[in-house]
Amino acid sequence: MEKITLASQLLQYLITGLTVGSVYAMVAVGFNIIYNVTEIINFAQGEFVMLGGLIMVFMNVAMGLPLILAFPATIVLVTVIGIIIDRFAIRPIRRPSVLTLIIATIAVSILIKGTASFIWGKDPFDLPAFSGRNPITFLGAVVQPQYFWVMGFLIITAVALSIFFDRTILGKAMSACADNPDAASLVGINVKQMILLSFALSAAIGAVAGITITPISLMEYDRGAMLAVKGFAAAILGGLGSFPGAILGGLIMGSIESFGAGLVSSGYKDAFALIVLLVILFFKPSGLMGSIEISKIKRF
Amino acid sequence: MLTIDSLSASYGSIRVLKEVSLKVPAGKVVSIIGANGAGKSTLLKSISGLMKNSTGRILYKDRNIAGMPANRIVHLGISQVPEGRQIFAHLTVRDNINLGAYHYFKRSNRLEIKERMARVYEMFPILEKRTKQIAGTLSGGEQQMLAIGRALMGRPELLLLDEPSMGIAPLIVREIFNVVKQLNQSGTTVLLVEQNARAALKVAHHSYVIERGEIVLEGLAAELLDNPKVKEHYLGG
Repeated sequence: MEKITLASQLLQYLITGLTVGSVYAMVAVGFNIIYNVTEIINFAQGEFVMLGGLIMVFMNVAMGLPLILAFPATIVLVTVIGIIIDRFAIRPIRRPSVLTLIIATIAVSILIKGTASFIWGKDPFDLPAFSGRNPITFLGAVVQPQYFWVMGFLIITAVALSIFFDRTILGKAMSACADNPDAASLVGINVKQMILLSFALSAAIGAVAGITITPISLMEYDRGAMLAVKGFAAAILGGLGSFPGAILGGLIMGSIESFGAGLVSSGYKDAFALIVLLVILFFKPSGLMGSIEISKIKRF
Repeated sequence: MLTIDSLSASYGSIRVLKEVSLKVPAGKVVSIIGANGAGKSTLLKSISGLMKNSTGRILYKDRNIAGMPANRIVHLGISQVPEGRQIFAHLTVRDNINLGAYHYFKRSNRLEIKERMARVYEMFPILEKRTKQIAGTLSGGEQQMLAIGRALMGRPELLLLDEPSMGIAPLIVREIFNVVKQLNQSGTTVLLVEQNARAALKVAHHSYVIERGEIVLEGLAAELLDNPKVKEHYLGG
């Protein structure tokens, strides 16, 4: 048996941290998409991840659909749920202020959690790993093949989104809505459609996160809230609204948590994210990659 | 080109516009002058579709556009430069200008968009220099130019200008009004709302005076410049 050295142990923490962090990063990206269009913090973001995991288990395990079909089908279903949330919880609010809309997302998240516990019960569910569970040993650290899937999908998501927001007029139009909805409609942008699109997109990303992480950490009905808190902390750490920031924030958050759990105590695992959140809010509210210039003209 | 017939509008129980009727003939500059709070901006917002609580008819090229959402009105050839500029502050100057062409932004229109953008830069060379700058960091005058440039990208036949001189240095106000004149000479109809009555009357062909939501005076702009009442109330005696 190979000897466990401190270096290999630290590497192990780092790899685990980056994997979990990839999920936080995806949640943070989801927060940013909706925030960038509406200035709303969607607290139901974590529920998209939970739904992604559980619906995937239902499709793949219970219904026996092959991975290649169950994966897109799950994304489509969660996206539809995102659209329903916008259509029935966000759009009907008559005089929307950012705060009332945020409270509406909290209500939605409670509703989704309740429904999930009704459908799936309170037990955690497992999902077969995409390419088996035979670990690879790398410099003394154990790497599950699924880790690559999680990080790979984060990279795909990040590249696709940065092209979408930086290079396409539709992406720019979405950002314009957050900036000034009235001016956006004056140039012909259908603001309601853009909000719908933002919910659809971030639901889809949440689903991807849920599907890829479930084989590693299982999934149960009440996982959403904590994922939302950590994803939110990651978004704040990176600078609310910044996509590179969200990814960096997520990876750092995951690593802090993993090192903290390994070196200090796993009992405090969840506390680390909140401590980081507080520290950032106290000392650098614009986050690591958030521009101070832009944060000055932000309303929220 | 534009005929407004008995337009009334209210915010809650406060009536801001009372049976306003006016005409904007094609190819002309029409200005509406009035004090702060007289209902000028509400009038423009009703035309562009931002103000939803209005009654009456707004005929644009013989089609009633009252109640139509703003994002559809721009397709018909009406672009508004809103009060207080309202540029997309977090985006770059170039993005702002591109978004002006959003409603016809297609690969097949690429050439037209490029040409229009070149014309906007020709009109406001400073915008070309600042093309990659975040729009929120521009000065007030530059933001106003950007707002006008963005509206011009929308293929307007009728341009609605809301207080373009507000909070801007006199020298730049002159530059902006010169552009308005040029635009009109090249065929764009302009409806201009201004507190700066002297500047507005100088550039306009026809003018209306609005007080507490009602049109109280109208006539050729040149005549209104000599009107004793206008002189006393709006031109500082």
